Amino acid sequence: MNPILVIAERKITAPGKLNPASLEALTAAQALGEKLGAPVVAAVLEAGESGCAAECAARRLERVLVARHPLLGAYSPDVWVQALVQIITPLQPSYVLLPHTYQVRDFAPQLATRMGAGLISDVTGFNFASTPPRFQRPMFQGKFTAEFGFSGEGVPGFCTVQIGAFRSDQAAMGAQPAPITAVAVTPEPSRLEAGEIFQEAKQAVDLTQAPIIVSVGRGIKEPKNLDLVRELATALGAELAASRPICDAGWLPMDRQIGSSGQTVAPKLYLAVGISGAIQHLVGMKGSRTIVAINKDPEAPIFEVADYGIVGNLFDVVPALIALLKENPA
Amino acid sequence: MQADVVIVGAGPAGLACALHLARLIDTYNQGQPQGALSKENIYLLEKGRALGAHQLSGAVMDPRGLRELEPGFAADAELGAIPVQDDALLLFTRDHALRAPITPPPLHNHGNYIVSLNRLAQWLGAKVEAAGINVFTAFAGANLLFDGARLTGVRTDDKGVGRDGQPKSNFEPGYDLQSPIVVLAEGPRGSLSQQLIGHLGLRGTNPQVFSLGVKELWELPPGRFPKGRVFHTLGFPLSTDMYGGGWIYGFDDNRVSIGLMTALEYRDPATDPHNLFQQFKTHPYMRRLLQGGELVRYGAKTTPMGGWYSLPPTAGDNWLLIGDSAGFVNSQRLKGIHLAIKSGMLAAESVFEQLTGRGSLRDYPQKVAASWIREELWPVRNFHQGFEYGLLPGMANAALQMATGGRGWRDPLPTVSGPDRLIKIDQLGDRPFELVPDGKLTFNKVTDVFHSGTRHEEDQPAHLVIGDWDICNHRCTIEYGNPCQHYCPAFVYEMQFDDNGQRKLHLNPSNCVHCKTCDIMDPYRNITWVPPEGGGGPSYEGM
Repeated sequence: MNPILVIAERKITAPGKLNPASLEALTAAQALGEKLGAPVVAAVLEAGESGCAAECAARRLERVLVARHPLLGAYSPDVWVQALVQIITPLQPSYVLLPHTYQVRDFAPQLATRMGAGLISDVTGFNFASTPPRFQRPMFQGKFTAEFGFSGEGVPGFCTVQIGAFRSDQAAMGAQPAPITAVAVTPEPSRLEAGEIFQEAKQAVDLTQAPIIVSVGRGIKEPKNLDLVRELATALGAELAASRPICDAGWLPMDRQIGSSGQTVAPKLYLAVGISGAIQHLVGMKGSRTIVAINKDPEAPIFEVADYGIVGNLFDVVPALIALLKENPA
Repeated sequence: MQADVVIVGAGPAGLACALHLARLIDTYNQGQPQGALSKENIYLLEKGRALGAHQLSGAVMDPRGLRELEPGFAADAELGAIPVQDDALLLFTRDHALRAPITPPPLHNHGNYIVSLNRLAQWLGAKVEAAGINVFTAFAGANLLFDGARLTGVRTDDKGVGRDGQPKSNFEPGYDLQSPIVVLAEGPRGSLSQQLIGHLGLRGTNPQVFSLGVKELWELPPGRFPKGRVFHTLGFPLSTDMYGGGWIYGFDDNRVSIGLMTALEYRDPATDPHNLFQQFKTHPYMRRLLQGGELVRYGAKTTPMGGWYSLPPTAGDNWLLIGDSAGFVNSQRLKGIHLAIKSGMLAAESVFEQLTGRGSLRDYPQKVAASWIREELWPVRNFHQGFEYGLLPGMANAALQMATGGRGWRDPLPTVSGPDRLIKIDQLGDRPFELVPDGKLTFNKVTDVFHSGTRHEEDQPAHLVIGDWDICNHRCTIEYGNPCQHYCPAFVYEMQFDDNGQRKLHLNPSNCVHCKTCDIMDPYRNITWVPPEGGGGPSYEGM
C-alpha cells in the first residue's frame, strides 16, 4: 500500500522547532492513512540536526525521513523543490500533505507542477464516502464547500491543509518513537538570493495603552516636518499618532492611524497638531480625557471637542512648546 | 467554474429576475420527474457587503411591478411600505414656498407607496434565498469574459490585492464563472454594462443621460411631517438653466427622506450637486422643517433619465441588460422601481425559455415592447430631452408631448451626453455660489460620507482608474477647472498642490459611495469606475 507523506516545516524564527501547523497536517495525514489503510511517513528538511525529526517521530508514523544538507538551512523555493522531488520520487506516496503556510504556498505549486501532479490547496476536510476520497475546501469566502478529486495515474495527489482545520494536539502519539532514516538529497544551490526576513509588525505600538498621544494631521504639510512633532512627543513622553491622510500617504505606518478606519483611543492627554477634526478622526479620539488642539484655522471642527485650543501656525507653536517643556521637565 | 445563469446585481431588477426564475423552475420541475432543472448553478452576485447595502432611492414606488411579483406586499409589516396620503408640488423661490394649486398629473402619487429601497432589497433578497438561489454578497462582477464577440461569462473580483497591485497574504483570485446566460442588473452606469456596451458597440437612438440624487434621511420631532406625505419641489436652489428638483417624503418613526436631484447636464463645470442640496436645506421652508432634527444617513446615486430612446439593445445571444443598467426609468413620473421589477420578471421568462429550449434571450426586447413597460415609457419618450434647453422650454415641451401622445415638437428629440454640455471655464463669468456648511443643518462632504456608513479595505488599488493623469493635472485644470472635485458627492477627488506649487489630483477612493457620477461626467472620459474589492462601499440602512 503506497504511503501517505506529510512534509513537516521548521519554524522560520526558531528553526530548531516544528511549525505547529506541521502537526496539524500530520493529524490530517493520519486520518487519511487510517481510512485508506496506508502507512504515514513524515519528511523533515534541515541543514543540521534540529530535533524536528524527533518531534515528528514521537507521533504514530511508519517512519520519519530526514534530508540533511547544508543548502537546507535557510529556505529557498528551488532548493526545496529539488530536494522534495528527490524524496518523493522513490517513495511513491499516493498523497503528499503539507501545511498551508506562507512557505508552502511559495513552493508547493512549483513542486506539484514539476512532478506533473495536481495540487488541492487549503483543504479543510475529507469525504470518505467516495472512493477514492474527495478533498474539501471552501469557496466564495466560505459560502460553499467544494469537493475535489485527483485524476491521473502514477503521480501523488498534493494537498495543503488549511491552518486550524485539524488539531495538532489530536495527532496520535506512537507507542514508541518511529524510526528515523536519512535520505540523501543533492540540490543545486539556489538561483535566488534571500533578502532579510520580513515580519509583519504585530502591533509594534499599541496606541490604546499610551497615556499621552501627540497626533499629527495634514497641517504638517511634508513628511520631513514630522521630526518636529516627534521631538514634541519625546519631550512629552508621548506616542506619535496620525490622522488618515498621513498614513495614507505612507508618512507614518498604518498602525499609528487614529480614526474610524484606524484605532480608537482615550488617553489622558491627546494633542492634535494640524488636524482639522473631520468626524472620521473625531470618533477615534473624542473619548480622550483632555484634548489640546493646535490649528491655524479658527473654524476647524477639532476645536469643538478640544478642551484647550491654540489657534496658530503649528510651525510657531510646536517649537515654542518644545522649548517650554525643555525648560520645565515634568 | 461552470454556471447556468449569472445575474450581476441584487437590486430590484436582479432580485425580481432571480425570484421569478426560481418560481418558474419550481413549477416546471413539478411536472418533470426527470429532467428537472437545477437552481444550484444560478449565481446572483452583489458587490455590497449585505443585501440592500448599496440600494438607495427616495422612494415613491408604483406598486404595479411588486404586485405582480409579490401580491401581498402592501400588508407586509417587514417591508413597511407606506401608502401615500397626500402629495404636492412646491415651488421654491429664494425666500418662499408656494404650493402649486394643481399637482401635475405625473406627480400624482395616490395609490403609490413610500418605500426604503434598502429595505425592499433585504425583503426580496430573503425570499430569493428561501427560493433556493444563492446570493453572493461581497462579490463584485469585475470583468466580462469574451471569446471574440461572444460573451462567455463573468469574472468576480480578486480579493486581497494591495495598493501596489501585489497580492497580499489573504489573496484569493476571482472566479471565472463560465455561463451561457448573463443578466446585468447593476443599476445606473453598471461597470460590466459599460464593458459590454463598449465591447459590442451597443448604441441606443440617444446616448444615456443621468441625474445625480443626493439624499439625507433625517429624524424629526414627532408630528413635524406626516407619514405618507410626498412633496416635490422645483426652483431654489436650481437656476432656470438647470434641470432638477427636490423631494421630501414622510416615513414612519418620524423619519423623513429629503434630497435633491440635479441633472448631470449642467453647463458650469463648477456645479456641485452636493452643495446644491446643502443650499436646498437652507430654504426657510426646509430650515423650519429640519429644526431640531438630526441627520441619520446620507447617500448619493445617479439615475438614468434618457427614457425609451436612450435604451441600448437589451439582449444578445448570451446576455440581457435590465433595470437601471438598461435605463428603464420613467423620468416624467420619477419612477423606476416598478419598471426594474417588471424588466427583471420578463428577463426571468426569457432566461427560463432559453434554459428549456422554448425560446431565446433574443426574444426579450419583444417581451418588453409588448408589456406595460413600453406602454408607460413610449408616451414619455421625449420628456427629458426638452429640459436640455432650459426649464421653461422643457416645460413647454413636456406639455406638448403630453398632448401629442409623446411626439412633442420633434420625435425623436435628440439629446447630447451630459459632459459634452460643459462649457470651458474661460468662457464663464461668475462662478457658482458655494455654501460653507455649518455642521448642524448643512454638512461638508466628508461628514456626510461618514453618515453613509461607507467603508472600504484601505489597502487596495484605487478603483477609480485614471486614463491619463496629465489630463487631470494640466489640461483639465485649464479647460474645465477639474470638475471632479465638484461633482463627486463624496470627496473622492481632491486637487492638491505639490512642492512646486503644481496642482495634482489626489484620490480618496475609500470615500466612494458608488454613485458613478465621475464615470459619467468626466469631460475627457478619462475616469473609469471599476468595482473595488467586494464588500466595500456604503451601508444604506433605511435608505
